[in-house]
Amino acid sequence: MIGPDALLLARERFGLETPEHGPTIPRERLGEFARALFEAGYVYLVYVSAMHHPADKQGETERPARYTVVYRVRDLARGLEFPFRCEVPLGTSVPSLAAVWAGADWQERETFDLVGPVFEGHPDLRRIMLPEDWEGHPLHRDYAINTPHRPWR
Amino acid sequence: MLFDSPVLHALILGLVICSALMGVTSYFIWFERRFAGRMQGRIGPEHVGFKGLLQPIADAFKLLIKEDITPRNADRVLFNLAPLLAVFVALLTLAVLPLASGLVIADLDVGVLFFLAAGAMTVVPTWMAGWGSNNKYALIGGMRAIAQSVAYGVPLVLAALVPVILAGSMNLSEIVAAQAGGHWFAFWPPGPGFLGGILFVLASLAEGNRIPFDIPEAESELVSGISTEYTGMKFGLFYLGEYVHSLVGAALFTTLFLGGFDGPGPDVLALQLFWFLLKTSVVSVLLLWVRWTYVRLRSDQLMTLCWKYLLPSGLGVVVLAAMWVWFSQEAPA
Amino acid sequence: MNALALTPPIAPRANPYLDIESYEGQGDLMVLNMGPQHPSTHGVLRLKLWLDGEVVVKAVPYLGYLHRGVEKLLEKLTYVQSTPIVDKNDYVSSMTNELALVMAFEKLEGCEIPRRARYIRTICAEMQRVASHLLWLGTFALDMGGALGGGTTAFMYCLRERERILDLFEELSGARFHYHMMQVGGVRHDLPAGWDAHLKRVAADISARIPEYEHMLSENVIFRARTRGVGRIDKLLAQELGLSGPNIRACGIDHDLRRSQPYAAYDEIEVRPALATEGDVYARYQVRLAEMRESLRIALALIDGVPAGPIMGRKPIETVNAVKPPAGEAYVAIDSPRGELGAWVVSDGSTKPYRCKLRPPSYHALSALPYLLPGVTIPDVVVILGSLDPIMGEADR
Repeated sequence: MIGPDALLLARERFGLETPEHGPTIPRERLGEFARALFEAGYVYLVYVSAMHHPADKQGETERPARYTVVYRVRDLARGLEFPFRCEVPLGTSVPSLAAVWAGADWQERETFDLVGPVFEGHPDLRRIMLPEDWEGHPLHRDYAINTPHRPWR
Repeated sequence: MLFDSPVLHALILGLVICSALMGVTSYFIWFERRFAGRMQGRIGPEHVGFKGLLQPIADAFKLLIKEDITPRNADRVLFNLAPLLAVFVALLTLAVLPLASGLVIADLDVGVLFFLAAGAMTVVPTWMAGWGSNNKYALIGGMRAIAQSVAYGVPLVLAALVPVILAGSMNLSEIVAAQAGGHWFAFWPPGPGFLGGILFVLASLAEGNRIPFDIPEAESELVSGISTEYTGMKFGLFYLGEYVHSLVGAALFTTLFLGGFDGPGPDVLALQLFWFLLKTSVVSVLLLWVRWTYVRLRSDQLMTLCWKYLLPSGLGVVVLAAMWVWFSQEAPA
Repeated sequence: MNALALTPPIAPRANPYLDIESYEGQGDLMVLNMGPQHPSTHGVLRLKLWLDGEVVVKAVPYLGYLHRGVEKLLEKLTYVQSTPIVDKNDYVSSMTNELALVMAFEKLEGCEIPRRARYIRTICAEMQRVASHLLWLGTFALDMGGALGGGTTAFMYCLRERERILDLFEELSGARFHYHMMQVGGVRHDLPAGWDAHLKRVAADISARIPEYEHMLSENVIFRARTRGVGRIDKLLAQELGLSGPNIRACGIDHDLRRSQPYAAYDEIEVRPALATEGDVYARYQVRLAEMRESLRIALALIDGVPAGPIMGRKPIETVNAVKPPAGEAYVAIDSPRGELGAWVVSDGSTKPYRCKLRPPSYHALSALPYLLPGVTIPDVVVILGSLDPIMGEADR
């Protein structure tokens, strides 16, 4: 069940629209929003992930390549859930939420490793799944599965 | 005394007994594997020879043909000497063990002291293996082995003192003689012997690095502990040494607390030998049972057990034994 | 503030980014690498430990040794082809892997699952939970007792029971480990004749044997000494890290997706909570044993009432492009034996997913290690790691 207090928080305090898959928080206010959610009781972090959208055209506007970083948190005591997201163009960093939820630490490392967004303020943003010297982020939509990378493939 | 010469007696008898023990140990390993298999709902060695009886020979052959690897930066002397010393020290304790009346390699008057000293030496090859392997896991295993051996040596000595006090002698043949006629120290006098026996069993399990005291070679934490870097026959010697040590420990327990070769029937050498072997076997099987049932203690829990529980119990047991001897010797005025 | 977070923490939280250069130990610190090849790291996990004597000062886990690029592969394959791939994530409990992903696809498509298929799914998931916990119990005892000792005995007993369940699944789906049982819209294989009698026999036998394991382990002084008070997880930390399943239920937090977000046939049956309060290794052990009992009870309660009917709620799947959900997103989470296994799927209207993120519970459990390991000795490292029940295939994908 989507938490009504979180919806209220997003709509009133932050003035955001709340579609079905959660509000899209602008990156400047992400830390503030996260902290407000944590204080409201949403201490359970379900996941942090991201997807990559290549540059495309929506109608007449050209949209640059961008990442959509998605978050989902829960309040176990009240049985409420709240997803939210943040969109940034490639090259712009997203504030790290590792200081708010301890679990965001490893989640953001994996997201950075496989998808690509850089999390600013993360205590130790290294690759976690792939070797340290891997180049590229495999879950980019234009990263071919058989991209050669010596000496691994 | 063979040929009326203690040297020849010791040499010949020593050779015979040690060879016999090596054979017995290999088949003890076979027995353990079948016993453990039955405990776990499976069979154990079955196919190599009838009921797997050729398994120990196959295993020995396999270990002999394996590549003998010495790590590059290992301390060669320590690394290569350790397995040899491990078996040597385990066999040394045999020298004072009376298998039947007169059938003892060296009937020392300080037999108990000798076997305690030889038993205490088992820490040396373990440490040599741990240090000489140039491997962190082995090092940790070696450190743990030193702590454990030194610690458990104390209750071992105290428990071994009980039959010494009760028999009034350190000569193992005389200790067996004092238990003649069924007055085994484990059951008579009631109290000190039984408790001393339990202490001795626990301490000798710990000295022999058997589960639940096998932290130096804790396979789930330290890959193989002290024997991580050993391959082929050197590993085989460690493995064999461990089993020899446990069999000898069981034999010592039999001698000190269960009457040695004492048993019903006439005083015939063969019958005495039979009783001795039977009792040793029963004790060994009990220790095997313990091994395949319990999980191991953590290193600090193991040390706590020794210093805080076994040591005071050991002192108490020695006092009890001394009191018994004092009161039973006090003649009416 | 969340009522569950208000309980005071057990101890100051360990710092996973401790500055090792400025640490004053009793002696020199030794760096021990419990490398990817180790008898007890439950798969290929590398743990770099800084030790002060035998006490761990800092622990850094390294993952990725079993990373196979599953999420990228799922983008390249169609929805139909993805089931056998996710089977291999949590290779110990394949049914639940498939269930999570397939339910996410069904939510995207919006198709209705027939009751019979839901019952079959629930029974399979619960028996899978029993099989997984049996394997966990065996390897946990093995971690403590070693390969030559009491641990092996417990291991042999548990695997013997697990074989019975695998036989059951082989009769149902044809495979012992990777079943490929779940499909979008229902299940692929129907229950064969006599399967319910077989299940009842297996469940009765295992229920009769669980007290044996308890007797062998719970009442064993050494086992209790090794597990009580070890590896306590603070409630707030557990929630922040996203721990789930037995790991969090052992801390006293009643978070069970089978009850809070019922799926399959869980809305038709009562799932009793298996909780403990201390949050230590012994508590996790007790919770898993209780869950085994509960799962057997649920399976037995459901098998008699499996309704007749179809096992697929949509047209039979005959080609690889048969599933083409409309554009949208869905997140579905189930309660796998390890915890909350979720799948977040984004569809762009084609026959292949646009983005498929799998939320593995083992990954979150492993992220607790840098907080749990400082201050414990090496034997406890192995015990704590075992009690979190990580499966590297799932953590790395």
